[in-house]
Amino acid sequence: MLRLTRVLGHATEPQLAETLHRLEHGGTVERLKLSRADTARKRLHAFTDRGTEVGVMLDRSEQLSNGAVLLLEPTRAIVVALEEPQWLALAPRDAAAALELGYFCGNMHWKVRFAGEYLHVSLEGPRETYLERLAHLVANGSISVIGDD
Amino acid sequence: MNDINANAIPAASRERPSTAARVGIGGPVGSGKTALLEQLIPRFLARGTDLAVITNDIATKEDAERVRRSGLIAPERVLAVETGACPHSAIREDPTLNMQSADDLDRRFPGLELILIESGGDNLASSFSLDLVDYWLFVIDVAGGDDIPRKRGLGVLSCDLLVINKTDLAPYVRVDLPRMVREANEVRKGKPVLLTNCAIGDGVDAVVEQIAREVLFDR
Ligand SMILES: Nc1nc2c(ncn2[C@@H]2O[C@H](COP(=O)(O)OP(=O)(O)OP(=O)(O)O)[C@@H](O)[C@H]2O)c(=O)[nH]1
Ligand SMILES: [Mg+2]
Repeated sequence: MLRLTRVLGHATEPQLAETLHRLEHGGTVERLKLSRADTARKRLHAFTDRGTEVGVMLDRSEQLSNGAVLLLEPTRAIVVALEEPQWLALAPRDAAAALELGYFCGNMHWKVRFAGEYLHVSLEGPRETYLERLAHLVANGSISVIGDD
Repeated sequence: MNDINANAIPAASRERPSTAARVGIGGPVGSGKTALLEQLIPRFLARGTDLAVITNDIATKEDAERVRRSGLIAPERVLAVETGACPHSAIREDPTLNMQSADDLDRRFPGLELILIESGGDNLASSFSLDLVDYWLFVIDVAGGDDIPRKRGLGVLSCDLLVINKTDLAPYVRVDLPRMVREANEVRKGKPVLLTNCAIGDGVDAVVEQIAREVLFDR
């Protein structure tokens, strides 16, 4: 198991970007795919897309983020790749339903984004789990799920 | 071309971080969180892990006093957080008090490797913020009934490790333990579930191994 104890930099920094670009050709750049929620962790046991087993162990002052470079060797690098956040778009029927939906999402500690008439809920687990929790609001017509028939 | 030995630790990663791993222990009232702590402490110390503990209680320092009195760990390595009304606020919405206590332990004990944080007893929907902990356990017990996993509480679903404690009580409370485990595995979709009897320590070694494998990386 490979211990990764530092964020060495960010893939967007010019010098690192150049090194990574060279490695993409002559060596390997391995991606460590993480969910947005997981980037809050300072310790993490995971596998890269090439199957390398890693133990991330960072100081509390360091922060995982999309593009964080955790390993840089002559022929290999490991870079964090954030899995795209997924959103569930919900349309409340009227103001009363909107209040109820907002209150409910807050109670569930869900992360939300306000999008005009819609409320977007960040999916940090399976979509069906969220739909299950919202079933009573869908059933009584208070809300509808956008993109579903 | 350089042949990279998979076991070699590259120069940039050789040292360890200066702050400890943080592991949360949550779960409903009375499920055995402190009992699990009391079983974990001697095992971590025996394997050489530099350890400290934080307990959360609503209005007292009951659990901290109990752990200090146990003689299992130096009393100054046990901190108490009083959460006031709502135990889950202190581990989820506003974990500042717990984060400050953990920072305090990091400063006071250089070389500290692991901080175990017991939340106040709560309900099935409680969960830890990943701003506070790197990994968290949710402890339920068989005496709460074998339908608990089926109820799909947020804690049961989203924790990193589900611990089903008090396995010794199953025959007395008419609980079908194999079924409880099967349903726990179903709702957790492959995330780990372990069984313990914290009255005597059965199954606790596996919990230690799991925590070490997921956050300590010391072997
Ligand atoms: N039979 C049996 N009793 C247990 C076990 N684990 C804990 N207990 C008992 O259950 C009771 C509650 O245990 P605690 O460890 O205090 O539970 P807790 O989750 O810390 O409780 P709070 O912090 O108050 O929420 C105590 O009387 C323990 O002795 C177990 O595995 N088997
Ligand atoms: Mg307790």
